[in-house]
Amino acid sequence: MKKRSFSRIISQNRIIVMILLLLAELVVFSLLSTPNRSVAEVFSGESIFIKPKNLRNIINALPLSVFLTTGVALLMISGRLDLSTGANGTLCSMLTAFFLREGVPLIPTLLIVMVVGAFIGFINAALVNELRVAPFIGTLATSSLATGFTYLIANKKTIDLTNPILKAYGKEVVLGFFPVSALVAIIIMIIAGIVLHKTHLGRKIYLVGGNPQASMLSGINPRKVSYMLFTLCGLFSAFAGITFVARQQSANMQGISAARFQGITAAVLGGISFGGGSGGMAGAFVGLLILNTFSNGLTVIGFSPFLQNIAQGLLLIFALTLDYFQKEQSQKILK
Amino acid sequence: MVGRRIRHILKSKEMILVLISIVIIIIFRLVNPNFLSVGSLSGIMQAMSLTGIIAVGIGTLLIGGSIDLSASSVCLFGGVLCALLIRANVPWGLAMVITLIAGFVIGVINAFLITKVKMMPFIATIAVSNVLSGINLAVTNAQNVPIPVESFWWGGKLVFGIFPVPFIIMTLLMIVYAFILNKTQFGRNVYLVGGNMTAARLAGVNPKKIHTILYINSSVLAAFAGIVLASRMQSAAPQSQSDSQLNALTAAILGGIAFTGGAGGMAGCFIGVMLFSFFNSGLNSLALDAYWSLIASGCLLIIALTVDYFNELSREKNLKVKKPASAAKKEGA
Amino acid sequence: MSKYLEFSGISKAFPGVQALDNISFRAESGRVLALLGENGAGKSTLLKILSGDISPDSGSIIINGKTQVFTSPHQAIQAGVSVIYQERQIVPALSVIENIFCGDLPKTRFGMIDKRTLRRKTEEILKVFGLPIDPDEPVGRLPVAYQQMVEVMKAYRRNSDIICFDEPTAPLTDSEINVLFDIINQLKKEGKIIIYVSHRLAEIFKVTDDIVVLKDGKLVKTFKTSETNQQELIRAMVGRDVGDTYKNLKRNDKIGDVLLEVKDLCTDVLDHVSFTLRRGEVLGLAGLVGAGRTEVARAIFGADRITSGEIIFDGKKVHFKEPKDAIKAGIALCPEDRKDQGLVLFRSIRENTTMPILKKISKWIFINRQEERKVTEEAVTKFTIRTPSINKLVRELSGGNQQKVILGRWTNSLIQTKLLILDEPTKGIDVGTKAEIYQMVCDFARAGLSVIFISSELPEVINVADRIIVMHNGKITGSVLREDATEENVLSLAMLE
Repeated sequence: MKKRSFSRIISQNRIIVMILLLLAELVVFSLLSTPNRSVAEVFSGESIFIKPKNLRNIINALPLSVFLTTGVALLMISGRLDLSTGANGTLCSMLTAFFLREGVPLIPTLLIVMVVGAFIGFINAALVNELRVAPFIGTLATSSLATGFTYLIANKKTIDLTNPILKAYGKEVVLGFFPVSALVAIIIMIIAGIVLHKTHLGRKIYLVGGNPQASMLSGINPRKVSYMLFTLCGLFSAFAGITFVARQQSANMQGISAARFQGITAAVLGGISFGGGSGGMAGAFVGLLILNTFSNGLTVIGFSPFLQNIAQGLLLIFALTLDYFQKEQSQKILK
Repeated sequence: MVGRRIRHILKSKEMILVLISIVIIIIFRLVNPNFLSVGSLSGIMQAMSLTGIIAVGIGTLLIGGSIDLSASSVCLFGGVLCALLIRANVPWGLAMVITLIAGFVIGVINAFLITKVKMMPFIATIAVSNVLSGINLAVTNAQNVPIPVESFWWGGKLVFGIFPVPFIIMTLLMIVYAFILNKTQFGRNVYLVGGNMTAARLAGVNPKKIHTILYINSSVLAAFAGIVLASRMQSAAPQSQSDSQLNALTAAILGGIAFTGGAGGMAGCFIGVMLFSFFNSGLNSLALDAYWSLIASGCLLIIALTVDYFNELSREKNLKVKKPASAAKKEGA
Repeated sequence: MSKYLEFSGISKAFPGVQALDNISFRAESGRVLALLGENGAGKSTLLKILSGDISPDSGSIIINGKTQVFTSPHQAIQAGVSVIYQERQIVPALSVIENIFCGDLPKTRFGMIDKRTLRRKTEEILKVFGLPIDPDEPVGRLPVAYQQMVEVMKAYRRNSDIICFDEPTAPLTDSEINVLFDIINQLKKEGKIIIYVSHRLAEIFKVTDDIVVLKDGKLVKTFKTSETNQQELIRAMVGRDVGDTYKNLKRNDKIGDVLLEVKDLCTDVLDHVSFTLRRGEVLGLAGLVGAGRTEVARAIFGADRITSGEIIFDGKKVHFKEPKDAIKAGIALCPEDRKDQGLVLFRSIRENTTMPILKKISKWIFINRQEERKVTEEAVTKFTIRTPSINKLVRELSGGNQQKVILGRWTNSLIQTKLLILDEPTKGIDVGTKAEIYQMVCDFARAGLSVIFISSELPEVINVADRIIVMHNGKITGSVLREDATEENVLSLAMLE
């Protein structure tokens, strides 16, 4: 009996629960990051977490997360998945630095890299749609390929960024603290959200994710949607990679590959279910904030980066459990 | 009778793979006469062993219709744990046992998340993998852990002057598992569960129980692989460049273990591992960067999946109803 | 004591329908008993109860004098019941030997599988039935007929006293059917109790000894096969009092020119189907399950591949590669399985209604919420869909309202539907809503649409349609006008070769 009402509360008020979670994080980390863990100190400004400099850190980490999450969120709503975003982005960051170092002008470089990213997405789509490979294993395969090519180009070294324009893009801020790259990323996420919620393309994504058969019988082509979204996700991974190299001012072999589960975790936290057909961009954004705040908070209170990995893994399990409760609740209604 | 058996073996898919392996060897040998010389043979066999031991675990699980993506991390974890225990003056025999028990526990956790919490297998095992890799990095501070106990270094020794100990271990394991899969009720039940879960239930077999055992099996073997690796390298690494479980998976599928379950066997697995390792080593011997192997693995996996797709089509040519239940078990939507 | 199977007072109700009502009869060993009845008569429910899939509300199953209660299919198997369904319960990659002995392999002293005994026993069984099958062959590679034989042998190996066949001859060729009958005769000789569910009267007369006829969940009559004939059976299966349901339908009397011409349509299931349909006409498509009616609908709609034949729609020869093309030409399909193929359950009424007209309610790429609301509310009003809001999730609606949403999707002001195909539109719907739907069908016809009305409910099809085409086994077996149609003659056409 108790479990059922718990499920219901979560599923019916998912966004509110998530926002509460976010606020709870803010409170907890603020407290924990003061010298004596007292509320008074929080208000007297001694909490490291709440300091503007730290909040800026959180915002600085946004561009990457936003790009990685947006593409994956769209795919997940349509009922698919992409695990190659990290490797894809890393390859793109390496390619960007490489081409620029070899003297290729900025615009052609960016175009080539975007095409590469999109192409990897396209291969994912082909694997899933033509060979009927399960998305997770297909994208793991392309992930391997992308990582391999990254290593090949890098040859164990890091490549420094030479192009001043890209460097500026990475460093410039608006209003004194908000990075331009974060602005670009958020604008793109907002556009994706608008497309998702307000256009007929977005509607098709929901319908295909909810019931591909019924969609096909109503004149919608699930395959086209699938190809489009995988390619788009690949493109966004490329954006993530470009942003990464711009901000780091260099590309290395690790790149953003560690971040590949961030997109999925953020999406699931934000209410996007693996089965497809539900959830929204706003939820994904909140999920993303929760995740970023979480990593940042852990760093502030002294968790080593490795402990953070563990914590993020646990967070993913937590997100999946929430998803489980939500599904369980909806199954009950169906019965 | 014997004639029929021999004919059967010659016609089988495994034979085709053996032939392909031979072709690959010949091609690489032509390009670089040093390939597969006696000197490099032990190196290849070492690489095979790591992939092979993990492949036994993952392969058996695949036959049973499910998947485990935590094996790489469990392998590294096994090495790290064993190394740390030995450095803490625990006798290495005991350290090994404790590590295997830890693998057992991880397998139980995986099984719990998948059978009780009903999470999708791939995401549950990926999540566990993340947590484990974090633990690996945390307790070692991202540094290798050297193992200064000489008696533990059996992993690098050769038997009869040519065969590395790990290779013998892998071969023994495959023989034992081939036996279990072919000659015991349990082994055949694994095929049942992976091939048609409804038929399995009707026959009184409990899929959840079988899956639990298989997940535990996979994790224990992965931990064991980690021990073997640590023994050979005389130290344990908390992270590695190549994805050993993806390699094992590719090898298993190349060897004829169907991705959707219910088909394949240890013989094919062995040959798949062999094929995969030869291909990898061949690329290395061409003095290409070691990184080509990552690219090659990705390509090989795609090729393996393609072949599996066509095999699936021919396997089910006459079946009017496809198998939605077992395929959905692993699908990430 | 001789062996027998007895059903005693079996009743089972599902929400809204009494599937079985006090069924009692007995099946003796060494005899084949046919279970005959239309769709919905209760045959599959009875089989499911026997095989342990579901439990009866009341009544009991008695096997050889002992009352049995099954809480799981496994228990039923232990008690000696084997049901051979249309979905193969085999493991395709494993050999014949393994499939026959699945789960129950003979062991040696050490607990290992005794391969020699396995092979010997399998070969013995194969000999009993005279089947030329290689025991090592993976079952997935065998022709469908032999796959079925493997299941029969599995049942035989289990020493099942009771073996049931559910529509076994559907995928078989004539010679394969003879092999099946030989096997059944062999089973008879061994004293098994055999239950045979089928629509094919010719077969029933060839291989069964007793016949039980069910109608609407009740047992109508039992016959000895040798003492009856086809007409008598068909008469027992039909004959209902439909009351006023159809008397007050306002029908369309202005039938126009030819809209659809189907010529020699062949797919992998259909065999030279030909018919015409006029504007304003309601064409009923009758037949039993598996007759090919849904396949006709899907072929016309572009959802299935056509191997040969011609379709002429609205004066032009057409070849639809996907449903989208058919929709553009003005054809609409309400699929047989509402929930799995017709609706996106977790989305709202609004979103489900506008699925095919997304571009039409959009200004450039943005969906015009007002247009969407207008169209949806129009449908809700026109079809009296009972809901407080158009944003309600479709899965929360009743079956009847769900069907109305699908109807609204295809017949609103923004979509020009000329041909509406309805596949089992009243399945699982309450009586009151059914009547509403019948009138809606007639209203569509009055508005000039053509309607293809597919239904397995005989009274429905013969009373709503203007003309009824009957199908059997992928072919059209006959055509009757409403004035001349009776349940009996339509069912004859649906069941005879």
